[in-house]
Amino acid sequence: MPDMSVRQTIRKKISRYFEMLQSSGDPLKIGRRHKPDYWLLVLTIMLMLVGLIVIYSIGPALAITYGVSTNYFAYKQLIAVSLGLIGFLIATRVPLIWWKNTYKLLVAFAALTTLAAIVLPVNPNYPAHRWVRLGSFSFQSVDVVTLAVIIWIAGFLAMKIKQGLIKNTRAVFVPLAVSLVILGVIIVGVQSDLGSMGVIVAIMSAMAYVAGMPLKRLIIIFVIIMIGVVIAVVSSPYRLARVQTYLHPHSNCQGSSYQACQSLISVGSGGLVGLGLGKSVQAYGYVPEASNDSIFAIFAEKFGFVGGVILIGIFFMLFNHLKNVSERLEDDFLRLIVIGIFTWLSIQTLINIGSMLGLFPLKGITLPFISYGGTSIVFSTAAVGLVFQISRYTSLKPVEINNDTKKGKSNEDFGNRRRVRGAYHSNFGRRG
Amino acid sequence: MLSLSQKNLASLKTNRIKLLWGLLVLLIIIFVVRLFYLEVIRFSYYKNAALNDQLKQYQIPASRGIIEAYDNGRIVPLVLNQTFYTVYIDPSIITNISKTANDIYSVIGGNLKHYMYLMKFKKLQYIIVAHKITQAQNKTLLAFHLPGVGTQSQDYRVYPDGSLASQLLGFVNNSGQGVYGIEQALNKELAGTPGRVKAVTDVNGVPLAANTNNIEIPPKNGKNIVLTINVGIQSQVEQIIKKEYTTTKSQQINAIVMDPYNGHVVAMANYPTYNPANYQNVTNASVYDNGTVSDAIEPGSIMKTLTTPAALNQGVIQPNTNFFDPAHWVVNGFNIHDISIDGGPREQNIASILALSLNTGATWMLMQMGGGQIDKKGIDAWYNYMTQHYRLGRTTGIEQGYEAAGYVPPPNMNDPSIDLRYANTSFGQGLLVTPLQMASALSSVLNGGTYYQPTLVAETISPNGKAIIHQPKILEKNVVGPNIGNEMVPLMQNVVKAYLHGGFSFMNFSPNYIVGGKTGTAQVAKPTGGYYKNTYNGSYIGFVGGSKVKYVICVFNIKPKIPGYAGSFAGQPVFADIVHMLINEGFVSPKP
Repeated sequence: MPDMSVRQTIRKKISRYFEMLQSSGDPLKIGRRHKPDYWLLVLTIMLMLVGLIVIYSIGPALAITYGVSTNYFAYKQLIAVSLGLIGFLIATRVPLIWWKNTYKLLVAFAALTTLAAIVLPVNPNYPAHRWVRLGSFSFQSVDVVTLAVIIWIAGFLAMKIKQGLIKNTRAVFVPLAVSLVILGVIIVGVQSDLGSMGVIVAIMSAMAYVAGMPLKRLIIIFVIIMIGVVIAVVSSPYRLARVQTYLHPHSNCQGSSYQACQSLISVGSGGLVGLGLGKSVQAYGYVPEASNDSIFAIFAEKFGFVGGVILIGIFFMLFNHLKNVSERLEDDFLRLIVIGIFTWLSIQTLINIGSMLGLFPLKGITLPFISYGGTSIVFSTAAVGLVFQISRYTSLKPVEINNDTKKGKSNEDFGNRRRVRGAYHSNFGRRG
Repeated sequence: MLSLSQKNLASLKTNRIKLLWGLLVLLIIIFVVRLFYLEVIRFSYYKNAALNDQLKQYQIPASRGIIEAYDNGRIVPLVLNQTFYTVYIDPSIITNISKTANDIYSVIGGNLKHYMYLMKFKKLQYIIVAHKITQAQNKTLLAFHLPGVGTQSQDYRVYPDGSLASQLLGFVNNSGQGVYGIEQALNKELAGTPGRVKAVTDVNGVPLAANTNNIEIPPKNGKNIVLTINVGIQSQVEQIIKKEYTTTKSQQINAIVMDPYNGHVVAMANYPTYNPANYQNVTNASVYDNGTVSDAIEPGSIMKTLTTPAALNQGVIQPNTNFFDPAHWVVNGFNIHDISIDGGPREQNIASILALSLNTGATWMLMQMGGGQIDKKGIDAWYNYMTQHYRLGRTTGIEQGYEAAGYVPPPNMNDPSIDLRYANTSFGQGLLVTPLQMASALSSVLNGGTYYQPTLVAETISPNGKAIIHQPKILEKNVVGPNIGNEMVPLMQNVVKAYLHGGFSFMNFSPNYIVGGKTGTAQVAKPTGGYYKNTYNGSYIGFVGGSKVKYVICVFNIKPKIPGYAGSFAGQPVFADIVHMLINEGFVSPKP
């Protein structure tokens, strides 16, 4: 089989390249490779299927509203899901050390994408400079930026932890604050995307907090951000209207609070078990962005309280698995990546569902894996793919206990090594 | 000490993860509670709110009845329906203004910039951009599937015969309401009852598939109306008055042809006229009026055809009574004299009162109704005849919009000039009547004393095809005695003969027909009081028949500009043309 030999040669070359990388930079503190947490994949696929089903079922309504064929949105979502799974696969294959040593490439790519979104001509229907358009494909730059920020901040904070400078103002606080301001100017100022900026702020804060940054500093950052948010809200009439809507939800059901009002009606009219899969009325143009930001409202209308709780439950399980992985990592870089991804997905879910339930003001934030939209799905799924790979290197129990037994030897988890045969590191194997 | 700090750091890190996790768990619990509150506790509130938005009530338009008439024994349509479409936009959901506007423009033309202008009213959800686009255009437009663009079907009236009978038909305005004519008077019957649909709809109001909340009540279509109009007579009368309008340079001509034995209006025409299909292009709204029922004027001497039978019926004169005409009467200090060539005081009779149109003679008849002079008895009697017998001063109830009631001066004996007022009414001044009121009153005299309600409706046909033939409606019996009509016929024939002998050659009719009439030259009242010096209205009332009277004809020629007495030179020729037409076209059978 000449095929095999070629493959083996290539593999050898690649692994030598990564060995080189590993030896050239900081090595990762990872345990022995074991079976990954398959629940991550299963739950992600479940959520994507829910999204596909809902978008497929409201196809006739979307067709009327947008003047497209019935299955147009379901078809495009199917492509997005496929691309997402490819992204997942790639993320599970790219060696972890690569992320640590070449994150600059990713940051550069994110900067380039953002620049392209700002410079390239915009679609007159969506005049915000958020999309990069290549023929019939469009690409939301902020998703790339978010992933880049997670990798970069993880690397940055891990380095500072290693240098023992995590509590140093000049070394950590100032760079983070400066990068926040730069991102804020670009994403809020130019792209007018306050929601995504909020997500990035939450991610950075959570990562810095978990990395051990003093809480006082975080509170200062928080205060600065709040001032920025107030400026952003007051300077933009539509944001102001949204906040007023949030504060007085029923004052103006026909005007600026129309979407908030219709979301609540969609959710509330679902009842205990919902109207049924094909029975949504609100999707017929009543709720704006039915396939996108408002998809949870449509889901709740169709499947009621029971369905809503099940969906929230699936999300909850996914977040729980992400959290478990993060707790079982000794390497700060990897742990912070998982925390970043955990925050990214959970904060988007919380903001999206919370605004549909009238708990938060409306934000243009998609519901991960479910909302229509290619870029978000591809990057969210790829992010879970990354965690999926990382989950191969977890220890059985949260790291702090290991630290107790190990007394400072941090390179390998010996306690773990002895029982490494099965998949019991992952909850997937253990629960069956 | 490094190991200790690392240990602290590690446990700090996991503790902090636990804290973040706890925050997330707390939020998720809040979400579930909130979801329970919205979907279970507040379910009925939101269900109602949803139905409030989603359940829309619609009218299903009922198809409007058509209007038909007899033509040579066949029923032909005068008014039909055709479906056109109204294009509306919902700017709040239009995303691509220039594409949407261009697509609309490519199908229906019009003003592209205006479409784009309208689409910028983002707060509005319903703006009509075009009326009356065709079925084919509608199909092309809908094929674009433009968000925020919709069409509604609407029935429009079409008129196969153009402006034929336009004023008696009236038209249907853009809101579907009949205005003027039959369309107004019988709007309810023609319109039918719209059906109702209560349905859960999409945001644009398009009903969604069957839903337990849906209710549908089908519409009841309008009834078809078959008119008493004879299309042949109607169209020729219209041509005649159009021709005479030019010849006599008049302001307006109204003409009516009526069957005296059932009140059926056979023709009812006015000139100038208009085409109801393009009613919106009319600049002077007065052409919408059916003058034969809505314009009440002072009739002039044709009134003597009602004064005479009233006097005959009271027995105060006989057809052959002679009287000495003093050539003028002084009433309330005013001179009443004859409008015709004054032959001076001399012996006259009833026939010559009519033939020479003697105002003194008409006044004399009023005197005979009293005690030989104008007094309360005569005034009361004449008032009673005008208002009760001839039903002047009130609407006839014909199926027309805007019918005028006219005016009869009340017999108020305290009025110092009441004698003069009543002397004037005896020869047709100082009271207001419509051509229809005159024709109906004379019909009741000539048919033996029965006042039939004048009508335009012969049959109504229900949507299920069932025809209801309208029976003549008697409003007054014993208007005059049964024989008075027979006495009036030769008296009025005599007028026609007198004019023929006087040189009006067009008044020459075959002896196989009976033709009688009476001219009227009415002074026109100024709005400020008094009468114009040189402006008159020419009127004519008469009949044509074979062995008996077949049609009563009344003509008002408003303000003609030709020399001579308006009644003789402007009213009479119209009458003559109509009678010649009726005879020549065989609408009247000769004496056997």
